[in-house]
Amino acid sequence: MSARGEAELPFYFGPERALFGLFHAAGTPARKAVLLCPPLGQDQIRCHRLYRQLAQALVADGVAVLRFDYYGTGDSAGDSAEVDWERCLADAATAAAELRARSGIDQVFAFGARLGASIALASASAAQARFAGVLAWDPVLDGRAYVEQLDALQLALRIDRARFMQPRKETDVAAQWLGFAISDSLRQQIAGLHFKRPAAPTLLLESLPPDRPRAWNGFVVDAATIRSLQPPTPWDDPRRLEVAILSHPLIQAVTQHVREVA
Amino acid sequence: MQEQAFRFGRARHLVGIAGLPSSAARETVGVIVLNAGLVHRIGPFRLHVEMTRRLNAQGYPTLRFDLSTIGDSAASGESQTRHQQICADVADAMKLLGEQAACQRFVLIGLCSGSQSAHMVACSDVRVAGAVFLDGYAYRTLGYHLRYYVPRLLDVKRWLGVFSRHRAQQGSGEPAFTVAPLPQAVVRADLAGMLERGLKLCLIYSGGISRYFNHARQFRECFGGLVRHPDVFTRFFKEADHTYILTGDRNRLLEQIERWLAQNFPVTAGASS
Repeated sequence: MSARGEAELPFYFGPERALFGLFHAAGTPARKAVLLCPPLGQDQIRCHRLYRQLAQALVADGVAVLRFDYYGTGDSAGDSAEVDWERCLADAATAAAELRARSGIDQVFAFGARLGASIALASASAAQARFAGVLAWDPVLDGRAYVEQLDALQLALRIDRARFMQPRKETDVAAQWLGFAISDSLRQQIAGLHFKRPAAPTLLLESLPPDRPRAWNGFVVDAATIRSLQPPTPWDDPRRLEVAILSHPLIQAVTQHVREVA
Repeated sequence: MQEQAFRFGRARHLVGIAGLPSSAARETVGVIVLNAGLVHRIGPFRLHVEMTRRLNAQGYPTLRFDLSTIGDSAASGESQTRHQQICADVADAMKLLGEQAACQRFVLIGLCSGSQSAHMVACSDVRVAGAVFLDGYAYRTLGYHLRYYVPRLLDVKRWLGVFSRHRAQQGSGEPAFTVAPLPQAVVRADLAGMLERGLKLCLIYSGGISRYFNHARQFRECFGGLVRHPDVFTRFFKEADHTYILTGDRNRLLEQIERWLAQNFPVTAGASS
């Protein structure tokens, strides 16, 4: 097996060792460190391969990387219905501390896609994860609109003839978003999301399809902090619900930015 | 009980999560869950996590892991066919679970391409005592065609356009998973061979594969008298989709698997989570 594979260590960490992580050690003494904050729900599964590819690209640049799963997601402890926004923020801070300890680097950057970007932004402050910078890929900045969109997709699932032989009852699809049980409290927490100014230097990587509403205007400080990526990412296309999200331009943009920042 | 993460395998190229009940007896089978398509070891909508944790609670040691080049697992660096790689990877998984939980016999569980992998290994590895095939091999039969076409032939509205549009939409979609089928006679002979060797088989198919399987009767139409063998269990979840996207469907599937395991491979007294 390649030395690269050997340098990718799966482990459990955090309180009661409840969080799953995979540490990508840099081959040479690391100069920088990046925490990859996963999105939630089906986006997490769709992005898994891309996150791994991104981690390996960063490691090739001498950057130490930690991938991890929040409580109630992926291989971490907890049920899907137990996912809690405040716990996600705390888990991101715990993971940042773990990355500092393993890499010996205090200055940690964060990358996240969709709700993973929102979590990185929300936990960036000095009181929490102390991120030196955030790379946010199509972050969810308007929680209410996002909740409405997921509700609409979930409702459409009920009558998806490509998936089910017969339409399902409304009760069959209730309290779930695209394959994952959700609690009322998580719904309310996400609906209440609203970002104004980033707490850390932020690069916004934008790739939403042209017909999707953007909420960047009230958030970004200047246009230089936005970078558009092509092609658009089909986050919300129900026909691609189980198709992996892959993006070479995204990997290039992130590695280049991390290379350039101090 | 706490799960443990492992990097393992003949080239230390595989990544997996073992659930190890504290007092699993040597006689208890270990359960190994294989990748469904390219989804990493947690399974579609975290199905494999829910499954292994529920089985751990019943006292079964489990391992969900990524085959070579899938999920977090790397390539082994060997020159092998995919068939050889899968057999060797599952052998590595059985070795790990055997070392960690002392079990000597194993049940393999796989959905779609995972079912294909389980079938492959169950054909040849003597340590496999049973297998759960979820949406595994199936073939369109005369009965399938009658059940599919007769209602449509009698439905004028469909003739006027609904049916053709639906087919066109189906054709343009990107398939998430597919199983390249072995010839029906080969699969029948393979299953017969497994039963002769004493394996117990559980075939659970969903309504999500209605392109080629649309009734419980089709198990017999596909595999003949084999399905009446006392060591074969079949179930058709017509209402469910291929990857069990709804929590209620997932729950029913997992209850069924738990029941089948408890009846066929009961946990030895003294083993509990």
